[in-house]
Amino acid sequence: MKTITIQVSRFDPAVDTEPHLEKYAIQVNEGARVLHALHAVRDEHDPTLAYRYCCGSGQCGSCAVRVDGKPVLACMEEARDGMTVEPLALPVLKDLTVDLEPVIAKIARICPAPDAALPAREEIEAIKPLRDCIECLCCVSACPALQVTDFAGPTVLRQEMRLALDPRDSGDRITDAIAKGLFYCTTCKRCVEVCPKKIDTPGKAIEKLREIANRRGLTLPRHQEVAQLVQETGRSVERTQPTFLEQVPEVIEPDGPVRGEVGFFVGCMFNGRVPQTALDAMEVMKRNGIRVIIPHEQVCCGSPLIRTGQTSFIDDLKRKNIDAFASRGIRTVMTICAGCGATLKNDYETPFTVKDVTEILTEYGIELPSKLDVRATYHDPCHLLRGQGISKQPRELLRLGVREFVEMPTQCCGAGGGVRSGVPEEAKALGAKRDECVKATGADVVVTVCPFCEFHIADCTDVPVKNLTTILLEGYRKKDMERKGSA
Amino acid sequence: MVLYNAPTNKMLVDEIVDAHVLVIGSGGAGVRAAVEASRYGGVVMVSKTIAGKGGCTTMAEGGYNAVLRDRDSVDVHREDTLKGGAYLNDPALVDALVREAPERMTDLVRWGAVFDVTDDRQVAQRPFGGQRFPRTCYAGDRTGHEMIMTLLDRLDATDTHLYQEVSVIDLIKDENDAVAGAIALDRDGDVLLFRADATVLATGGGTQAYDISTNSAAGTGDGFAMAYRAGAELIDMEMIQFHPTGAIYPYDARGRLVTEAVRGEGGILLNARRERFMERYDPDRMELSTRDVVARAIATEVLEGRGTSRGGVYLDVTHLPAETIEARLPVMLEQFLAYGVDIRREPMEVAPTAHHIMGGLRITPECRTTLKGLFACGEVTGGVHGANRLGGNALADTQVFGKRAGEFAGKAPARSGRIDDAAIEEKFRMLDGFFEGAVNPTDVRKDLKLTMWNQAGIFRSAPDLRTALTHIRRLADKRLCAASTANLLECCTVRNMCTTASLIVRCALLRPENRGAHIRLDAEVATDPATSPFSHTYVSLTREGIERREVAA
Repeated sequence: MKTITIQVSRFDPAVDTEPHLEKYAIQVNEGARVLHALHAVRDEHDPTLAYRYCCGSGQCGSCAVRVDGKPVLACMEEARDGMTVEPLALPVLKDLTVDLEPVIAKIARICPAPDAALPAREEIEAIKPLRDCIECLCCVSACPALQVTDFAGPTVLRQEMRLALDPRDSGDRITDAIAKGLFYCTTCKRCVEVCPKKIDTPGKAIEKLREIANRRGLTLPRHQEVAQLVQETGRSVERTQPTFLEQVPEVIEPDGPVRGEVGFFVGCMFNGRVPQTALDAMEVMKRNGIRVIIPHEQVCCGSPLIRTGQTSFIDDLKRKNIDAFASRGIRTVMTICAGCGATLKNDYETPFTVKDVTEILTEYGIELPSKLDVRATYHDPCHLLRGQGISKQPRELLRLGVREFVEMPTQCCGAGGGVRSGVPEEAKALGAKRDECVKATGADVVVTVCPFCEFHIADCTDVPVKNLTTILLEGYRKKDMERKGSA
Repeated sequence: MVLYNAPTNKMLVDEIVDAHVLVIGSGGAGVRAAVEASRYGGVVMVSKTIAGKGGCTTMAEGGYNAVLRDRDSVDVHREDTLKGGAYLNDPALVDALVREAPERMTDLVRWGAVFDVTDDRQVAQRPFGGQRFPRTCYAGDRTGHEMIMTLLDRLDATDTHLYQEVSVIDLIKDENDAVAGAIALDRDGDVLLFRADATVLATGGGTQAYDISTNSAAGTGDGFAMAYRAGAELIDMEMIQFHPTGAIYPYDARGRLVTEAVRGEGGILLNARRERFMERYDPDRMELSTRDVVARAIATEVLEGRGTSRGGVYLDVTHLPAETIEARLPVMLEQFLAYGVDIRREPMEVAPTAHHIMGGLRITPECRTTLKGLFACGEVTGGVHGANRLGGNALADTQVFGKRAGEFAGKAPARSGRIDDAAIEEKFRMLDGFFEGAVNPTDVRKDLKLTMWNQAGIFRSAPDLRTALTHIRRLADKRLCAASTANLLECCTVRNMCTTASLIVRCALLRPENRGAHIRLDAEVATDPATSPFSHTYVSLTREGIERREVAA
């Protein structure tokens, strides 16, 4: 047995106006879960603690709570000293119990057709991943879209796709899904991160429902415009200034000895809208001895189309992009756009390895820049953090480049999944929340490694937004100035 | 808040709910009963948890037995069930089970169930313990969850009124001695009175009365206790299935189920010496022998010093391809990973755990209990599984008898008797008493569970059982204390657990033979299951004993 001290949110509607945290020192066994810690609070301190539980083995979904801010199943999450246990981000009934009814009521139920017969094996296998849901509502608690729109919730949309895939169902699930906010999802994957069953709602439900919607001509007009542009120009961004690709040769040799070589996939945003950042990144690569090969026939990775369900000519784009690098025998392709990186890694089958710039720079080890005299905070791009599982490397690199680094809470900026173009008010509202978090850190600059985040957060805050590679380049320039100065 | 009648200083009923059929319990049997009963009249379902989340149906991993293939036959399924049950089963109930399991599966498929399917578009089936044909239908390793989600979908399409997180504390009878409904408490301690023409008890099992159990927190045997108190007769309560493979680590999660499907997919059992010991206990069926045989085998290996340091044996699937484990046993993989064990690379440590109560309310094939107006289905009933249940027969039981209970409760005539006010007042007095009690119900619960585990477990003897019974009666007499109205339920639950435990022990003392899951180290007579002169043990407020039967030579 061991003693731990935890904080638990308490709220009794009969006497309290709002929840407050209480501290408890309790005895628990080795390997105890959060649930057992709550039992200990109830048994050793306060028998009136209200919380739900039933199966004790992660199968019924009754015991979902937030531990240190993250929704988890209390019966599966290990208890730790110092943890804070709060209810899910839903209306609180008492202590840790929340009102689940309003959300569960939105989950559609199957309407079997009279001749409903057993589906074929392939149909069953397609439905199965979506069927694992135990309606714990962790995803609903964590979803950013819900905070600023009347999005019904990830599990609700998951169910629409489960039904859309079932030949026995007779309902019109696409119209339902759209009414429930199908286009509000930014595909940030926070829901997948907190789902005890790891259901890929954005990939297997949202994007697929949008695909069906597309075949029925229901794609948002603004999204259709983007697809049209890609079809005509191979790019999802209009040319309004000299593009990155127009300004660089096929091969950029490094300044000093060649330590390594990568192919570079630039992506439409850096190519067309913020080319300077991509050029900055090339400078950093040059400085660190990495040769960069830039096939000019590369096109849009297709992400804006995949996320919005417009996949009819995706294979074409994939083939062009894969050939551009494979034909040159390139073994590693670097991306600096988190969205492109996640797409190449997860939606493509590539003969080459794909790595984000932060992975490449960390693997090779960079020349130390001079630290910029700023306090910086970092915004995790969703497609880097959850799409690629990368969070350590950007922070390591950033710490090398600035005087002071301070963390801020992580959440989607609101630009992804076609939301910035399709549902601009939602994107703005989520962006405003980033502004709040940035300001709360007192940072002089917010740093990120994704063009959408960079572009969108800059729109939503007056705190300067910079790409990590720009920070590093400025650090090298500062270093060079200092050397000149002391020479 | 509980309303007090100031002049009389008594608790009052806060809400009265009327229905044609009242269903108590929201597991597989209860929801199936409600769905069926809704064809005949208004149904009210009461669940002490969020509907579908409580009980064991949603946790059931193994599968649903049904004769679906031409090469299989209901006669073989019947024989397997009777043999597995040590011929203690009620033949009429078994007949219904094996005949109607396939039809109820068809219902589920029609209602949208996502079962695994073969290439030629049939419900996939796999082998399971004690069966001569692979007839266990499954949905990955979450068959029960699949079923309950399908049933809830179907329930939503009926007019059933659902009361969730409302706990029934006792049945209520009318002046004609018929069960007229039930009295219940909600989350806040408010009192509800449910009145119905027919009541269906589908409250599930009660092996939470044991220290080590697979059951959810809801498995406290409330239905056995409430029906017993109302005067119903229960049979074969000594028949407790100890599932052979329960997890051991960590301590707080001990007893959780490691599904038989692990053995169905090829998992093998090894003792500490890495011997495949089932060779010595059932060389023909090995790991897929019936659960009572395997549980006793493991218990014996541990008792005789060939177990692991934590008191278990190894269940090993490391010889299976990782993809098979990931596809067929994802829940097991995930659970063990959460506790730091990768079953693709290392064996699991397992030991027997109290899992299912074969005994329960005596019912007819129409699910009528011995009380007028009271029907029952699912684990709360006795007779279907005899002295030992086959894996996969429980889920089939919920559907076959859930439907029958719903049908016959639905067809029951209107009940006209008045409810006895005095009975209700007596319940209130009991509840009030909890505010004056002094003993912590949590302490009593822990004590009870250890007593049952140590003295009424797999291997039994009269002295142990008698000691247990005395102790349980002492625990049952303690004046439990409710710290607030929200804690009244804990007191009621512990009270029910004590009653259920005493029924188990009393019946264990009544059966002098070894039969199926019941082993008396001091058995007075040696019998063979097929020819044993003993039939059901029975217990009620007015009588107890063991039936005898004539067996054809």
